[in-house]
Amino acid sequence: MTAGFTLPRLPRFNRLRTRLTVLYMGLFGIALLLAAVAIFNAVGSSARKVVRNEMTASGAVYGQIWASRSDQLQQGAAVLARDYGFREAVATGDEATVRSALDNLRSRQGVDGALMLGVDGYAAATGLNLDAPTLDTLFAGLDRDGVEAGVLTIDGQPYQVVAAPVMAPVLIGWVVFAERLDAAQMRNLEGLSAIPLSASVIVGANAAATDRGTAIVPTAEGPSMRLARPLPSLDRATPAALVLTYPLSRALKPYEPLFLSLTIIGIAGIALLMGGTWLLSLSLTRPITALDDAVHGLQRGEYVEAPVTSSDEIGRLASSFNAMVGDLRDREARLTHMALHDQETGLPNRLALERRAGAVAGGWVLLFGVERFEVVRNAIGYDSMARLIGALGRRIEALADGEPVARVGAGVLGLVVEAADADEAVALAERLVGAAQEPVIINGAPVDITVTVGVADRGRSGSDLASPVDRAAIALDQARAAKRHVAAFDPAVYGDPAGNLSLISELMTALRGGEVTLAYQPKYDFRAERVTGVEALMRWTHPRRGFVPPDLFIGMAEETGHIRPLTEWAIDRAIEDQRTLSAAGHDLLVSVNISGRLLADESFADLAIAAVTSAGARLCFEITETAVMTNPETALRIVSRFADAGISISLDDYGSGLSSLAYLKQIRADELKIDKAFILGLDQSARDGLLVKSTIDLAHGLGLKVTAEGVETPTALALLRGMGCDLAQGYLIGRPVSLSAMIERLAEQPQARGKTAVG
Amino acid sequence: MRALFILLAMLFSGGSALAGDLTVSVRDARGQAIRDAVVTVTPAAGVPRGPIRFSWPLRMTQEDLQFQPYVLIVPVGGVVSFPNLDRVRHHVYSFSRGNRFEIELYGRDQSRSYTFNTVGVAAMGCNIHDQMLAYIKVVDTPWAAKSGADGTVTLRGIPAGAATLKVWHPQLVVRGNETAQAVTVTAAAAQRTFTGDFSGRAAVR
Repeated sequence: MTAGFTLPRLPRFNRLRTRLTVLYMGLFGIALLLAAVAIFNAVGSSARKVVRNEMTASGAVYGQIWASRSDQLQQGAAVLARDYGFREAVATGDEATVRSALDNLRSRQGVDGALMLGVDGYAAATGLNLDAPTLDTLFAGLDRDGVEAGVLTIDGQPYQVVAAPVMAPVLIGWVVFAERLDAAQMRNLEGLSAIPLSASVIVGANAAATDRGTAIVPTAEGPSMRLARPLPSLDRATPAALVLTYPLSRALKPYEPLFLSLTIIGIAGIALLMGGTWLLSLSLTRPITALDDAVHGLQRGEYVEAPVTSSDEIGRLASSFNAMVGDLRDREARLTHMALHDQETGLPNRLALERRAGAVAGGWVLLFGVERFEVVRNAIGYDSMARLIGALGRRIEALADGEPVARVGAGVLGLVVEAADADEAVALAERLVGAAQEPVIINGAPVDITVTVGVADRGRSGSDLASPVDRAAIALDQARAAKRHVAAFDPAVYGDPAGNLSLISELMTALRGGEVTLAYQPKYDFRAERVTGVEALMRWTHPRRGFVPPDLFIGMAEETGHIRPLTEWAIDRAIEDQRTLSAAGHDLLVSVNISGRLLADESFADLAIAAVTSAGARLCFEITETAVMTNPETALRIVSRFADAGISISLDDYGSGLSSLAYLKQIRADELKIDKAFILGLDQSARDGLLVKSTIDLAHGLGLKVTAEGVETPTALALLRGMGCDLAQGYLIGRPVSLSAMIERLAEQPQARGKTAVG
Repeated sequence: MRALFILLAMLFSGGSALAGDLTVSVRDARGQAIRDAVVTVTPAAGVPRGPIRFSWPLRMTQEDLQFQPYVLIVPVGGVVSFPNLDRVRHHVYSFSRGNRFEIELYGRDQSRSYTFNTVGVAAMGCNIHDQMLAYIKVVDTPWAAKSGADGTVTLRGIPAGAATLKVWHPQLVVRGNETAQAVTVTAAAAQRTFTGDFSGRAAVR
């Protein structure tokens, strides 16, 4: 089957076997059908030929019979027509004689009817009843058309009519004999034929329409062969014909047993072929079906082997398939192992732990974090560290009764334990951690390790963290932060990081919408004995959440890079508010907190300096020493640029974080703010007093003013005054309030407020 | 002698002393000459009294199994003889109305005669020989003649004035095989042509 030969399109079959069977059966069926048609046609045409020949012969015989009968009748009529006495009787109008002569001859000849028809229209008939129209027709046929033998319809019945002229001596009329063409006549004719055909004479339009010769026409007995022979008619308008018919079914009847046996042979052949093809295709397609099933199984993820039953193409295909399945299985096993195991240690990995956590009901996830992992690793090397982690994992696994231990992170191992509640889980963790911290022998040398454990259950209570492993990791961080060996996951401590993230996205909208405002906290000048400055503090009242803690949103803004627009907004706002205060008669230095991150941003510095100088404002930027330490070079340069622009610099939260005297020397600050942690303990602690006093002295020595934060008691205020502190800030002086409230307060007691407070 | 008689008759007939000749040419539709057509003229003033005489013998011979002549004009009351010149015997008959007669078997050289007293046609046959056929036209006017091979008939001496012209032929397709028309005869010789359908069959009985 190559190009150029196209199989007819077969309907779709889902099974090869069905397709083969239908194809073979179809081909055989077509061949059989063609043979049957050929046989039927040959038999049919042979039968038709026999019938046609027979009919043609019968038709010829009938023609001769017709002619001879016609002659016979005509001779009889002529005898009478020539009889002198008869002629005389006719000529002289002797009707009685004419009738008796006609009767006499009629009985002698044995004809149905006889008639004397004169050329002048005179008519005398016996044995017939002719009406005027029939006489006219007959007369026209004889006189005008010269027909002397033919068919004539009398009383609706066809007759064979012959006429003999009566000459006396000229034509005076005709002796007419009529013989009925009735059923008996036709039966006689039928009897002459070798085949049982039926004969009839038809007259009128039907006869005219009838084809000459033989034709096959439908009849009550099915398709029939018909032969029509025209007969002469005495009525020009009404042609006549002899019609012989023979049903073909009768002609084909002798062949019926042949057809029957052919049909039986055909059906039996098809049945045999169907069975044979089915069996053959079964053996042919069984390995293919098995292979098909195996492929489907493979699709479903099952590893099934296709049976190899032969050494042909299909057998080789099955072998190849099996080999492929084997490879696939190995590869998948490797992939699965890789997906679920740590390559370095061979321990299960985080994914395996997640699955395990999901599989154990009432399970708790314990994460063991090796403290100072990087330090230890750098000390003993990567390979040894990997061995250490592996050894630790196996140790914990042994302690946990064979529960598999997974490596979740570089220095983090985890397992799932069953516990009734958090307390039991924590207790279990503590027991394990105690045993796990034994030194590990690596290359013959013991290595000390410290382990911290985070505990989390597999439920989702109180957190949006889906994975218990994640929660255990947070718990681990929480334990480390709390400097504890074991901690269970605390959702309250964890907070809502996702919510905070959305908060930041809302912050920018809040800035434009006026949700963020500046609150001002007064700074009291000991020497001037009045408020000489304010610190601007950001406040955010969220329409849904309400008051958002500044530490939260400012911290988030720093972390997410939004601190710059926030600070720029604060500077602009502070400049404007200073102008408002000034208009109210209060010239105050306004302090704005600048994030350490912005001290690395030159473009921010440009913008801030431009804003301050163009407005001619008097601002103080509060920065932290720690911020400078991160990137000292840039930070110091930017601080210098601020100082050059006439902006005061204040070192915030001094003493709380890492303080470096080296930087203190380099920063061009004007002011140093002592952290409130020192001031709050001033009342009770002599050490704090000493620290504050020495710090004030240090600052003064460097030419800096000193502001004490967190001044809440008159005692502290008095002590600070005694120590020579320059400015005081705290609840005693005033809480942070809105600009309008600040103006109100300053107006109430512009000078006395500070004194009263101090007093 | 007979011409003299006619002349005398004309003279006797009074006022119309003048007489003319009439030639009639008988043709069929295709212009073919028709022979044996009998042309008669009957003057409106009537014919002369007395017996009519024609120039041809009143004789119907049977010779070679045929009648001779085919058409014979006979004056009313004329006696026609039927001589049999054949070896066989004949049985002459006519069933024609008014001129019905039968001359039973008679032999060679025997002659019979019959007197025709009725104006009309007698179609004659022989009972023994079917092919034998002849016509005797019995007329009551002296001006009668049958056309020759050229189809013409000339009647002479017809009294001038109104007259009836008749043409008869066994095959003329009209009732009784005869047609009539009114003519006016003048002293001068006149010429007429008669055209008719001669494809018919004698219907006379």
